[in-house]
Amino acid sequence: MDLASNTAHGMVSAHKPQGLARWLFATNHKDIGSMYLWFAFCMFLVGGVLALCIRAELFSPGLQFFQPELFNQLTTLHGLIMVFGAIMPAFTGLANWMLPLMIGAPDMAFARMNNWSFWLLPPAMTLLLLSFIVPGGAAAAGWTLYAPLSVQLGMGMDLTIFAIHILGISSIMGAINIVVTIINLRAPGMRMMNMPMFAWASLITAYLIIAVMPVLAGAVTMVLADRHFGSHFFNAAGGGDPVLYQHVFWFFGHPEVYIMALPAFGIVSQVIPTFARKPLFGYSSMVYATSSIGVLSFMVWAHHMFVTGMPATAQLFFMYATMLIAVPTGVKVFNWIATMWQGSMSFETPMLFAIGFILLFTIGGLSGVTLSVAAVDVQLHGSYYVVAHFHYVLVAGALFSLFSAVYYWFPKMTGRMYVERLGQLHFWWSLLWFNVTFFPMHFLGLAGMPRRIPDYALQFTDFNRIASIGAFMFGLGQLIFLVNILYSLRHGKTAPQQPWEGANTLEWQIPTPAPYHSFNPPPQLETAENGVVLSMRDSGQA
Amino acid sequence: MDSRRVANTVLLRKLLLAVLLMFGFAWLLVPLYRVLCEVSGLNRVVAADALPEATASQPPVRPVTLQLDAMVQPGLPWQVRPVQSRLQVKTGQLIQLEYEMRNNSERQVVGQAIPRYLPAEAAAYVKKLECFCFRQQAFRPGEVRRFPVVLLIDRQLPAAIDSITLAYSVFDVPGQGRAP
Repeated sequence: MDLASNTAHGMVSAHKPQGLARWLFATNHKDIGSMYLWFAFCMFLVGGVLALCIRAELFSPGLQFFQPELFNQLTTLHGLIMVFGAIMPAFTGLANWMLPLMIGAPDMAFARMNNWSFWLLPPAMTLLLLSFIVPGGAAAAGWTLYAPLSVQLGMGMDLTIFAIHILGISSIMGAINIVVTIINLRAPGMRMMNMPMFAWASLITAYLIIAVMPVLAGAVTMVLADRHFGSHFFNAAGGGDPVLYQHVFWFFGHPEVYIMALPAFGIVSQVIPTFARKPLFGYSSMVYATSSIGVLSFMVWAHHMFVTGMPATAQLFFMYATMLIAVPTGVKVFNWIATMWQGSMSFETPMLFAIGFILLFTIGGLSGVTLSVAAVDVQLHGSYYVVAHFHYVLVAGALFSLFSAVYYWFPKMTGRMYVERLGQLHFWWSLLWFNVTFFPMHFLGLAGMPRRIPDYALQFTDFNRIASIGAFMFGLGQLIFLVNILYSLRHGKTAPQQPWEGANTLEWQIPTPAPYHSFNPPPQLETAENGVVLSMRDSGQA
Repeated sequence: MDSRRVANTVLLRKLLLAVLLMFGFAWLLVPLYRVLCEVSGLNRVVAADALPEATASQPPVRPVTLQLDAMVQPGLPWQVRPVQSRLQVKTGQLIQLEYEMRNNSERQVVGQAIPRYLPAEAAAYVKKLECFCFRQQAFRPGEVRRFPVVLLIDRQLPAAIDSITLAYSVFDVPGQGRAP
């Protein structure tokens, strides 16, 4: 648990509370960041186990291990836990850890609120997991919790609704903290248009969270009202409309997709320049591309609903708006490639994961453009093609970028190096088995296999077998990561202040491991684009 | 340092206001959706349509097959069926048909029928003048009733559609047992 510990590099490491109180009453951004990251990793394992249950059932046609009711609970909880328990907290945790260090702030703006936003997570996830053992079982309507199914389910659904309320409050508080920290607490000389891309991405993500998490809270509150208070928001017999739920949900749901993708773009935009030993190509276009993705994400939600009987004009609008998002995303991909072009590249683990991210995220983006075509989507909607698509952008996108970030900043966080060979093994293993798992799902979807079913027609068996084997191997590979982290925390080689030759952002200007209190008072900086530090004075470090 | 605290609090308040506004926006989507559907005519499924202009004066034109269907979700107390399941009609012609609805249970129930059209594009061209789906229907235990449906298929029906299926689903009105 001691990710944040440091070996007192002559730094102000006094005032460090000890024992349980240090974590329970934590207000230090590094402690809270570490807790977020560990929590997210635990939830990643829980969600992963649920995914393996799904793949075990789908290894063969027919019902082997789970009845359909339980199978639906597994898919629902797998989605909810991975989205709200693993990926989002992991990004918030990284932002907590690194943002103050990257922009020269002494801590997050509201330290006490930071503590609350973390400690709301465990009770929320407990509620969610508890729902497995209540009568009727956990929510089984898919992570989208579509009405009318979500109105009809048992009390597990109520627990899920409350869990989502709490998770929403947690992520909104985290987002407010990120916005205020970035807007108000940048060190003198850290101009907005010089900020690291990770800070920009976190800022825009935080705005998205503030804008759409309340909408999700509204949607699930309406479901709750329909369930218990006699309202008819989604009940056709009472004058409501189930399609309304889909509109409200996806108004949240599509920006949510970018809430999970933009921070990944930010991480990759830090890692690639470091290991290509070149400044990020097209920094300002990167900032504008990220912002325009954020704005566009509010205008495309109904592309998730092409089969609800929308008029053709609406379909065309949402189809073209969706395709438009490929433009700023393409700008980013080209910028990353141009950054590597003629760079002096080396391939340490963070760089491998970043390059893997670009490759696989682009594949996921391409299948996304395919799905955006309304005429094609009618065929592919609700099929395994969609499952393949969003796992390419969420696993190979968000998750790979998170691995990249953890390997990249591990020396700064802990003062020790991870084991490079294990890191490389983890990457190649994950890359291989990820594709074995998810690439065949494209074929399954094109052939017509629907998602969220425990049983399937015989002709889908071979590809499902391949996917299941891949999933178990992929899952096994994540233990390499855990072993690497646990080993390196105690026995890793001592890391120098500058473990990466090409790293030149602010967090690398302070000792390794990062002292418990840093940048208090904030330093005077001279910066260049993407957070590159040209000079630093009066840092309070001396 | 104090001015920074003030700046932080001011920004915090603005962001909290944004959170509240967006929460309100989620609820605003409900009336917004209803108004949009009504204005655009997308969702006028349970309200009477106006007779298209000049219908009475022009002769019926194109033959269309009208198929009728009805369904009830498992566990609900009704039995619903069209009296005739297939009609040969013409666009622009006033059509009268009948549905029979039965309460199979031992209690008083209230149901609401929701029509559905196949192909979906046909929905805009089927004008219902009278329908049991326009209001909630209360049934005594074991009661059987026949309802007339009066409709007209607009002359503007695209030439590609030569067969329309009209299917009703009957739903339970929560808080059942009361008369509407």
